[in-house]
Amino acid sequence: MCHRSVGLVQGELERAGISTASVTVRPDVTVGMNVPRAAYLRFPHGNPLGEPHRPDQQHLILEALLQLLETATEAPTLIELPFRWKRWERWL
Amino acid sequence: MQMVPLDTTGLGEKYEDWIRFIAKTHHGSNPRTNEVAPFSPLAKPLADSRVALLTTAGAHLDDQPPFQVATVAGDHTYRLIPDDVDLSRLRFTHTHYDTSSAEQDPNVVLPLDRLHELIERGRIGSSSPVHIGMMGFNPDPTGVADELAPAVAGMLLEAEVDVAILVPG
Repeated sequence: MCHRSVGLVQGELERAGISTASVTVRPDVTVGMNVPRAAYLRFPHGNPLGEPHRPDQQHLILEALLQLLETATEAPTLIELPFRWKRWERWL
Repeated sequence: MQMVPLDTTGLGEKYEDWIRFIAKTHHGSNPRTNEVAPFSPLAKPLADSRVALLTTAGAHLDDQPPFQVATVAGDHTYRLIPDDVDLSRLRFTHTHYDTSSAEQDPNVVLPLDRLHELIERGRIGSSSPVHIGMMGFNPDPTGVADELAPAVAGMLLEAEVDVAILVPG
């Protein structure tokens, strides 16, 4: 439901003229919410920008979002980023 | 970095399944969504743009009231997080995801340190004076759509924000 809340706020901001991009770990909800721009990461809930204390990874993800903002010519523009989560066993 | 288009095959059906599931399990649920994907292209280069961060991960300051997570109704209020906040003052009140990573490093859900570094590098122009903490668990999305979202939009427009980056819990 965090993703639905993101989608509803994101839609309102974009309609108000603010350019938006979001991160998603639930691409099904993001597709259903018709958000303008989003990047899917195969990360667990609670880690949308990856591992704690990984500024390098956080920067790569933010840069991808910025490029998405610069390059998208229509909505929705949805992308997937090539990160993999190394600790899935914690979540099983 | 490699940015590939998301393969959306089957995701619409999976979303419909999820909507049916929460309709059965959560009182007041309804399938509120954006009917069409809106599109506002960048009005100016990012290097001249003001950026706000928003998260639905339940972020608030230590002296702000926590989000209401004890009821099934959810909580569609928001908390203002100043741009110059000491990140050690952030708290995460949310019972539907594991908050431990956010508690170790708030940048995992609200990347304020990274935003400030992007300004230093000149990649973006400036940051919003305030960022927005929300709590995403809202089985009935009506309050989010009709109250929270317009309030946040009005505030960010007043702060002359050009770009918003949103992060879920």
